[in-house]
Amino acid sequence: MAMEEKIEALKAQAAEAVRNAASTLSELDDIRVQFLGKKGEFTSILRGMGAVAKEDRPKIGKIVNEAKAQVEALIAEKNEELKARALEERLAQEKIDVTLPGRRQPLGHLHPLTLTLERIKDIFFRMGFSVEEGPEIERDYFNFEALNLPKDHPARDMQDSFYITDEILMRSQTSPVQARTMQKNEPNAPIRMIAPGRVYRRDEYDATHSPMFTQVEGLVIDEGISLGDLKGTLELFLHQIFNENVGVRFRPSFFPFTEPSAEVDISCVMCHGKGCKVCKGTGWLEILGAGMVHPHVLEMSGYDPKKVSGFAFGMGVERIAMLSYGVDDLRLFYDNDQRFLSQF
Amino acid sequence: MQVSIKWLKHYIDFDWSAEELADKYTMAGVPVENVVRQDEGLDKVITGRIEEITAHPDSDHLQICQMNVGGKDRIQIITGAQNVKEGQVVPVAMVGAHLPNGAHIKKGKLRGLPSNGMLCSAGELHLDTTNLTEEQLNGIYILPEDTPVGVPVASVLGLDDAVLEFELTANRGDCFSVLGLVREIAVLTGNQPKWPVIQCKEDDEAKAAEMLSCGIDAPELCQRYTARVIKNVKIGPSPVWMQERLEGAGIRAINNVVDVTNYVMLELGQPMHAYDYDQITGHTLTARLAKAGENLHTLDDSDRVAKGTELVIADSEHPAGLAGIMGGLETEVTENTKTIVLEAASFNGPNIRRTSRACGLHTEASGRFERGVNVPDIPQALDRAAQLLQDMGACTVTQGIIDVYPELKAKVTIDYTADQINRRLGTALTAVQMNEILVKLGFDVQKLAGDKFRATVPNWRNDCTLMEDLSEEVARIYGLDNIKSTTPFGHVMQGQKSEKQVFVERIKHILVGLGMTEELSFSFTNTDMLDKLLVPADSKLRQAIPIMNPLTDEAPLVRTCLLTSIMENALRNFSRKNMDLKYFDVAPVFFPKQLPLTELPEERLELVGLITGRRETAGWNQGNENVDFYDMKGIVEELFLQLGLTRYTVEAGEHFALHPGKTALFKKGRDVLAAVGELHPQAAANFGVKQKFYLFTMDVATLMKYSGQQAKIESLPKYPAISRDLAMVVDTDTAAGEIERVIKKHGGNELKSITLFDVYTGAQVGEGKKSLAFNLQFQSKERTLKDEEADQAFQNILQAVEQQFAAELRS
Repeated sequence: MAMEEKIEALKAQAAEAVRNAASTLSELDDIRVQFLGKKGEFTSILRGMGAVAKEDRPKIGKIVNEAKAQVEALIAEKNEELKARALEERLAQEKIDVTLPGRRQPLGHLHPLTLTLERIKDIFFRMGFSVEEGPEIERDYFNFEALNLPKDHPARDMQDSFYITDEILMRSQTSPVQARTMQKNEPNAPIRMIAPGRVYRRDEYDATHSPMFTQVEGLVIDEGISLGDLKGTLELFLHQIFNENVGVRFRPSFFPFTEPSAEVDISCVMCHGKGCKVCKGTGWLEILGAGMVHPHVLEMSGYDPKKVSGFAFGMGVERIAMLSYGVDDLRLFYDNDQRFLSQF
Repeated sequence: MQVSIKWLKHYIDFDWSAEELADKYTMAGVPVENVVRQDEGLDKVITGRIEEITAHPDSDHLQICQMNVGGKDRIQIITGAQNVKEGQVVPVAMVGAHLPNGAHIKKGKLRGLPSNGMLCSAGELHLDTTNLTEEQLNGIYILPEDTPVGVPVASVLGLDDAVLEFELTANRGDCFSVLGLVREIAVLTGNQPKWPVIQCKEDDEAKAAEMLSCGIDAPELCQRYTARVIKNVKIGPSPVWMQERLEGAGIRAINNVVDVTNYVMLELGQPMHAYDYDQITGHTLTARLAKAGENLHTLDDSDRVAKGTELVIADSEHPAGLAGIMGGLETEVTENTKTIVLEAASFNGPNIRRTSRACGLHTEASGRFERGVNVPDIPQALDRAAQLLQDMGACTVTQGIIDVYPELKAKVTIDYTADQINRRLGTALTAVQMNEILVKLGFDVQKLAGDKFRATVPNWRNDCTLMEDLSEEVARIYGLDNIKSTTPFGHVMQGQKSEKQVFVERIKHILVGLGMTEELSFSFTNTDMLDKLLVPADSKLRQAIPIMNPLTDEAPLVRTCLLTSIMENALRNFSRKNMDLKYFDVAPVFFPKQLPLTELPEERLELVGLITGRRETAGWNQGNENVDFYDMKGIVEELFLQLGLTRYTVEAGEHFALHPGKTALFKKGRDVLAAVGELHPQAAANFGVKQKFYLFTMDVATLMKYSGQQAKIESLPKYPAISRDLAMVVDTDTAAGEIERVIKKHGGNELKSITLFDVYTGAQVGEGKKSLAFNLQFQSKERTLKDEEADQAFQNILQAVEQQFAAELRS
């Protein structure tokens, strides 16, 4: 048989083997070794070149190499095909139920009152207010007297306090921080501050009262501060903490530390002023107490009411949190039930 | 204070409905809390005549009534009442009525026949039943036969009044009177009130001053004391109009004398008292301090032992009443009283307030004295009372009044300019506008030089002394809503927070990131909680500040420790079946410098944490393991890292509330940064919990002292690190932290990190032993480290641990 034919046959044999036999990569490798390896069949043909006439050798060599290349190409092609199939199989095998819940690393939760307070602080912070603090166990002097509330003043009935001694009590409001801040300052130095903090009153613990709650006091003192400024500042605040459309009204009232004094109402956030259970049918919700700082309060802390004037306000953080989150029972804030707190 | 619309209208005209008036009052700073209408629920209840009655074919007790209710057609109503007859006029609740008893009237059928309304009884309409006949009480309310048909029953019965309930502020004593409230309406409407003419005829020959002597022994507590004597008193009921007004004001009618004193108090705001003249020993009344130990026998027939701080009105022997609060029983006016002393006075507000609080007696009188009365016009009250009794023909009035008035109350004047008030309010009102408001309110306004004015404050206003007070009067009448909103100008200010505030915010946010939830707890505690938490008897935590007037027995102390609060909170969650908790609390605790307190206590901000239950939320692939000590320690380590708190030591230590074998103290020198550990099993038993709790407690000021404010960034390494593993066997109670410390000490400058990656106890290392494996990384910043250098350092470490811990190396 002529050499050419033999090579052709071998090539066909190899092609057949690759096509039919090889179904795994290792089988394909066996075939490669069988035909193309060092001891493979094409190699042995090349080794048998000695028997070929000298002038025919280049031609035969070329034919063998071409055939080898063709077989190699076939194997490579098959190899790709098998690899793709193996990958497909693996992917099919590795399929998981992606609808199973994920493994979570849950964050904890800030208390809703902290969140509300942070919002309040942020709003005032942007308006240039500083955050001041004072002691929670406080002198009667700062809590009442320096705020124009002498002993046995009937307005003290508005706040039933926890007393430690006749002169020291658990502060019933954050207002003492007003007097402390003024006294710390140079006389008549301008002030823009809020004082958030816990306050204490002898109120039974129920859906709307608590013996401890959180208040934010505010104080602005400068030259030429007016009641109009108080209105503008608080409207700005209320529109940010609730929304742009909330109605705000100022009702004349009485606090010993301010003159004139006002209660500030917002239109009911539940019924938008139509009247509901939350606003007791009035359409309005009391949200803040405020007023122009009483000249006695300024004088007692070394400020001159002829030179400067100011306004003060106070609000309950619980009330604002209840309205913004739709919480109907204040006790939820202090029961610290996991199921409640984890919603914030 | 409450008053009926009718009474107000007796003095002034206005067109507002009760609700409108309430709103006007409220917006002028005289807050109305409630409007109670007499015809509440009677909207669709009208009068109707029974034209025809037939028996119901299918019932032996129901009757079919054909009713004339004023319209063209009769309507059919079926009733079960038995007292109805043809021709009677009765109240008919029409379809759609919501009766005061809650019933809602609808179209219906009774035993198959249509019924379009309901005939009503007095009870169903919540009518006053005191003067009704037996028949009217027990069945349908039969109205007089000539009653017009088809008109609202409320108007037929005169139920067109309403009562305003005020929630008055402490400054407006003048509004605790009907005339004061009328004055406000006059200002708001511009209408002229019809003030009552107060005038009595002294028609008895006797001279009051000869019958009675009065005195003030405590002038600082009694500004003025006045009295009138009336004779030939006939005790009896007061007229119906007076009874109705009193009732509208929430005061029960008793007899003409008591009613008149109450009426005058409501009308003028001046409390009064009537004494039985014949029961006054020595016919003398003196305002004096009670003698300590003296018995005070008041009208409510209770005995009180005087402390000596109470002001009393005494006859020559005994107190005849607690001044300004309640009269005495012995001198009470009775049916047999013939001669009466009427008293009107002014007592010191703070003293009245102290006494009334101490006695638990808050009366209409005491409330008015606390706020202050109209001192210059006090005698008016005597005249008014005498006049009213005289008008009833119930007495004769003796000559003169007794008036002890040691120091005449000076008129108060306030100087102001329109500009001052405008600047305070942010308004641009003219002086004319302002003065008009003030004059309407009763101020006498005089023009001074330049743009100055002087306002003389009316007698009834004790709350006005300053220009600022006038500004309030102007603002509330002008209307706060009419004042333009502006934003404050002046100095530009930068908002600032203290370092501590920022630090606490950081702590909270880091802990939330570590899966912890913030709680807020009350600042109170009790001894029982401290006991359960095993706080030692001599601990300073036992020096908790007692509250003089605690709300409950469970909260008598101010807390010295937050762990009690966080445990309480965990227990509450357990009781609600929330068993997996990760909580923290940051709040002040309070340490007295001494007890009882003479100066303010130290307030220290404490941070505590608590974890218990599952490490992860329960799920198909997680949540089978519970948290342990190292979870809590890890939280603290991460917190410290985030706070820039480094180079601390951790050692086994003690904390009263923690397991003695599972307590770590994080320290910086002698300062304890944190105590971390498992809740002491004895404390767990005391709290009745089986689950393990891990706690930490820290002092925020100490953390702050050592925390770095800003992280320092190291440049990334340029040269490769060399890694060596070090495994050794040591005694079980050798602390890994100690070994780590020694490794660090002997590792040289190039030792970059030490990681303990394996801890093993068991058969392979033998009893009483454990195996520890550390990975050590050596690296230089300046060059590539040679193996020999790492080996040398490693050898130094080996030597040290072998020597110090008798460590046996494993390869």
